[in-house]
Amino acid sequence: MDNVLSTLALDVGYAKGKPVVNKVSFDVKKGEIIALIGGNGAGKSTILKTITRQLEKLSGEISICSMKDMELDEESMAKKVSMVTTERIHPELMSCYEVVATGRYPYTGRLGILGEEDESAIEEAIQMVGAKEISGEDFSKVSDGQRQRIMLARAICQDTDLLILDEPTSFLDVQYKLDILSVIRKLVKEKEKAVVMSIHELEFVPAMADLVIGIYNNAVYQVGTPKEILTGENLEVMYGMENGSGNVMAEGLWNYANSLERLICQK
Amino acid sequence: MKPEKKRSTYLFPVMIGILFLCFVLSIRVGSADVTMKDIFATLFSSGEDYYGSIILSIRLPRIIAAMVLGGALAVSGYLLQVFFGNPIAGPYVLGISSGAKLFVAICMVVMVGKGVYISSFVMVVAAFVGSILSMSIVMMLAGKVKNMALLVVCGVMIGYICSAITEFVITFANDSNIVNLHNWSLGSFSGISWEHVWISLCIVSITLVISFLMSKPIGAYQLGEAYARNMGVNIKRLRIVLILLSSILSATVTAFAGPISFVGIAVPHIMRGVMKTAKPLIMIPGCFLGGAVITLLCDFIARSAFAPTEVSISAVTAVFLAPVVIYILVARRANQRG
Repeated sequence: MDNVLSTLALDVGYAKGKPVVNKVSFDVKKGEIIALIGGNGAGKSTILKTITRQLEKLSGEISICSMKDMELDEESMAKKVSMVTTERIHPELMSCYEVVATGRYPYTGRLGILGEEDESAIEEAIQMVGAKEISGEDFSKVSDGQRQRIMLARAICQDTDLLILDEPTSFLDVQYKLDILSVIRKLVKEKEKAVVMSIHELEFVPAMADLVIGIYNNAVYQVGTPKEILTGENLEVMYGMENGSGNVMAEGLWNYANSLERLICQK
Repeated sequence: MKPEKKRSTYLFPVMIGILFLCFVLSIRVGSADVTMKDIFATLFSSGEDYYGSIILSIRLPRIIAAMVLGGALAVSGYLLQVFFGNPIAGPYVLGISSGAKLFVAICMVVMVGKGVYISSFVMVVAAFVGSILSMSIVMMLAGKVKNMALLVVCGVMIGYICSAITEFVITFANDSNIVNLHNWSLGSFSGISWEHVWISLCIVSITLVISFLMSKPIGAYQLGEAYARNMGVNIKRLRIVLILLSSILSATVTAFAGPISFVGIAVPHIMRGVMKTAKPLIMIPGCFLGGAVITLLCDFIARSAFAPTEVSISAVTAVFLAPVVIYILVARRANQRG
């Protein structure tokens, strides 16, 4: 019963209309990273948004830390699930430190004044993502890569068992990708957190994911280890590639992925 | 680590000091000049002499009303800006003040026509109904019009329509009792009584305390709906509360002083610049103080610049604050990089 998250026959989508993805069932345990892959518009974000309650589920079940999602009110949800979305935020006149500090929301009192414990959690999270130098700077003036680090630190200091990350590495250069993913991996392995993330960069999947869920054609196409999923055949189906090109792709992909895995795991 | 904390600790006393200076200035200067000695004499006596009656029954209620209602208007604008996630929102430019004005005018004309005395409380309720109605129209439009500038244009149009109907109502009900209505409908603190002051003090202070206690979810909401929800904020409830608080504040102002232009939109912007933060914990009291100072000064100018003739307060606030609004619009346009 140590599932941090499990979904059963979950249908996700928008209120009026057909489900975007049907019958999603998977479990996430402590210390595990699950990667959702699939083409643009396959419904990866829709699944993640449903788990974080940005969208209402259409049917099926979601349990978080062995509790049915109906039993969890907003506040206890906030202590169990944190997230980083692709949506850009535009806070006015907030320093990076203050943006990270918003992660402590569920733990502060009526007026949201930070205590000592909160401050040390914030410092630690900033340290962890390596954003110490920029913590005093205006959030709207730092680069995309720095911004993503700050948003990750925000999610980390929310101190939840489950982190939901929607394309955490999109728009970043390769070094930032490596940095961010190393932090995520370290967090999961050392602090026994669980992560569900969607990702377009398949080359990073073997280094990161314990389990890969491929989404295709309004359903879960396959679930398995990176080795099982990232094959030429599967790639051809999931990404609508031409016959034969999947194998060429997979061969190169695995070479690159192995080098990246070495880089990420040595950190 | 947190410079804005230090900044606000010395800025708040400074602002309270400035407010006090404006207060003294406003009491002293007017169509009858009063010296400090007279003021003290009045405060410690029965107040039955000539200066005493001017201070106690005319000037003091007017000054307190300008401070309380000006502050309320600024906070109302701040809450609206949070709601729309946009600094070009305010009760006046969105037509909310004018909706309130229309309802108060109708209410007055109907009641006065029947010879019924209208209590201040009824006026506030009428203003509140008007605010909520124009607010719902604005929100309906906001669902269709995603562009904030366009929404403001719609708001201004709603304002014009309401003002025009108010003019009809006032013109056709030209009774000597409601001759005051014309001044009021342009925005003015003249003729405010102690009863109005007490009622606005009650309503505004309660609403302010509630707004201040909502600082935490308001701060979370500034990060966008998705993150706020993830932090455990009940978004629907927060949005309703924001609308209600903002409408109550601007309705109270409109009921007693008529529509006052641009304070609600410009003061929060000025205060963000002064305080160098957008945190509600600092901005809510900051906007109140800033609104109080600016409105008090504008009212001072309105009654003393062309004394003994008075100009409407909106004329003064427009001259000083509309340029700020233009600046915000232009600066935002310049900052939009894709």
